[in-house]
Amino acid sequence: MNDVNCLSSLALALAIVGGTTISHAEGDATRGEKKFADCAACHSLQEGVSSVGPSLHGLFNRKAGSLAYFRYSPAMKRSGIVWTAQTLDEFLTEPQKLVPANRMPYGGISEPAERADLIAYLTQAAK
Amino acid sequence: MATKLKEVDVVIVGLGWTGGILSKELAEAGLKIVALERGAMRTPESDYALPNIRDELRYVVRHDLMQNTARDTLTVRNNVSQEALPMRRLGSFLPGEVVGGSAVHWSGHTWRWTDMEFKIRSMYEDRYGKNFIPADMTIQDWGITYAELEPYYDKFEYTAAVSGKAGNIKGEIQKGGNPFEAPRAREYPLPPLKPILASQMFADAARDNGYHPFPRPSANASQAYTNPDGSKFGACQYCGYCQRFGCEANAKGSPHLTVIPIAMRNPNFELCTHAWVTRVLKDSGGKRVTGVTYTNVLNGEEFEQPAGTVLLCAYAINNVHLMLLSGIGEPYDPVTQKGVIGKNYCYQTGASARLFFEGRHFNPFMSAGGSNDTIDDFNINWNFDRGPHGFVGGYNVSGGFNTALPIGYRPVPSGTPQWGKAWKAATAKWYQTAMNISAAGTVMANRYNYYDLDPTYRNAFGQPLMRMTFDYKTNEHKIGDHAAKVINDIARSMNPTHLNPARGRSDPWTVVPYQSTHNTGGTIMGTNPRDSALNKYLQSWDCDNLFVVGANVFPHNSSYNPTGPVGALAYWTADAIKRYVKNPGPLVPA
Repeated sequence: MNDVNCLSSLALALAIVGGTTISHAEGDATRGEKKFADCAACHSLQEGVSSVGPSLHGLFNRKAGSLAYFRYSPAMKRSGIVWTAQTLDEFLTEPQKLVPANRMPYGGISEPAERADLIAYLTQAAK
Repeated sequence: MATKLKEVDVVIVGLGWTGGILSKELAEAGLKIVALERGAMRTPESDYALPNIRDELRYVVRHDLMQNTARDTLTVRNNVSQEALPMRRLGSFLPGEVVGGSAVHWSGHTWRWTDMEFKIRSMYEDRYGKNFIPADMTIQDWGITYAELEPYYDKFEYTAAVSGKAGNIKGEIQKGGNPFEAPRAREYPLPPLKPILASQMFADAARDNGYHPFPRPSANASQAYTNPDGSKFGACQYCGYCQRFGCEANAKGSPHLTVIPIAMRNPNFELCTHAWVTRVLKDSGGKRVTGVTYTNVLNGEEFEQPAGTVLLCAYAINNVHLMLLSGIGEPYDPVTQKGVIGKNYCYQTGASARLFFEGRHFNPFMSAGGSNDTIDDFNINWNFDRGPHGFVGGYNVSGGFNTALPIGYRPVPSGTPQWGKAWKAATAKWYQTAMNISAAGTVMANRYNYYDLDPTYRNAFGQPLMRMTFDYKTNEHKIGDHAAKVINDIARSMNPTHLNPARGRSDPWTVVPYQSTHNTGGTIMGTNPRDSALNKYLQSWDCDNLFVVGANVFPHNSSYNPTGPVGALAYWTADAIKRYVKNPGPLVPA
């Protein structure tokens, strides 16, 4: 019974990921900067500055869980994710779904356009 | 022999909300400050992050973040004829002991106390006559008004990211807010938290019974927020671990996220942790304080920290203790009713019902610190006529959840066996189906509820423990009975499958179980040095360069949580001290 539940939730996850991939659109970085307020209490954009969450400086094309000075969850370290616009979009949709047992206390952003805005902002700001 | 350190402008004892606010404000005003905190440095990234913070054993059972009772505690008794005994394990109340103080583990409930508290004696005497207030009820006016404090409430609410709905903006009643609140200049900084099923069901029932429910204002950020000082908050995740825990999402208004880091970046400010202050020093004339002595609790080394001005910003009980240990002001004597230090200790009373609804799923593991709706119809509603009921004060009633712990929260219908197979079956069956309706009530000052120094027991520094003499009096019993009836009427109107009804309390107060960390009074503010320890700026009547800040300044306790006026008064006192340092002397003529 449990196996069936696991399979169905996995299938659902894949379906959602698939959906967001298709609807992924160009975001608005100005709106995304406002949305970044959701993240800013824990994530810095400065290099080497981590607090509750790791620094987002140089985020793109970085392997998840790879900053030497931040204590990641085992789940994040073994996720094998490389952060791109697409993987971030999948992750931010529902962080516990893509990386179960990661330690980020954030429920996610259900609205695809809001995710696209945030990613557009991060693309500029997390360089 | 204590090592004498270099004199500073201000020494601050305790670094929670009040010490943090005063540190930031006064460092920015150019004063050189040393803050002494008895606890350790704790930060969200090292100490409150997931997953370690969700540890019920460590934080709830073993009281991490709280005062170490092996070092210092209180002795307690119910009345002067008893021998007081030391409280060896925290229970009824939980003073904090880390950088951030009790404001790390609070729930965030932030209220504005009104003139119904600040002018309590005059308002009741005007309406009900002098004989309405019993002879042993030593309530008095505070010497401050709501209008004076309003801008400081506002400042605190905007600093601490309070989520709520205004009920009265500049005299205009606002839909959805508390219609009984005093007028405020503007809305809360953040909209109310998301309602949960239990709070919605309570609100609907309260409305059907003719009452006026509103979402409880709480310093749990309902959305991401940057406060006027630039401190950043994340949004509350309704994680269910609020009270007694540091916030994992940086969403709870706490000084370690806001005012303390700002002070720490200021070169005028220095912090010493693990510094237990043993005494406030006076000069030979006894009219000025000259600094404090403290012990480094890690190695026992003793220091003297001279200072131009001393601010006591420790937990409310510890502030009073330091005044008694330092011999500042005359200790209160309940027999002669002379003296002021230790006078008017107050606490909190209440009543609570548990409602079970078979088939409902309340998800008690998901809530914010302030996930409830509240009614103030029997609290700050002055139209509620206390005359027929014969009590002073009142109570607020609320329904919802706050930190229903995964292990500790085990609701079962009354009559269920307390252990064994039947209990296990009941706790599994009813866990999801229960909600609470509870009242928090005022405790009025009484001449026999007070603090003094214990004649027998001593702390780790060889100093007498503080002795607390406290019990509920007739006024509290009347409030409890009235509250229980109102709660049960609302509860029955909701047709629960089972009801564990509320009962007014008649047993004596004890130190177990946990009840409320709302300990007030002991160094009270007032209009003259005969009746109070401090003037309206929280400045000692005896030594004008000593200020004492915290709930210990309240002449009585309202039904509301104390942190709103504690924070507002800290900002109010900061402004007073900025004036005082330019022109020292009593801010109010004695």
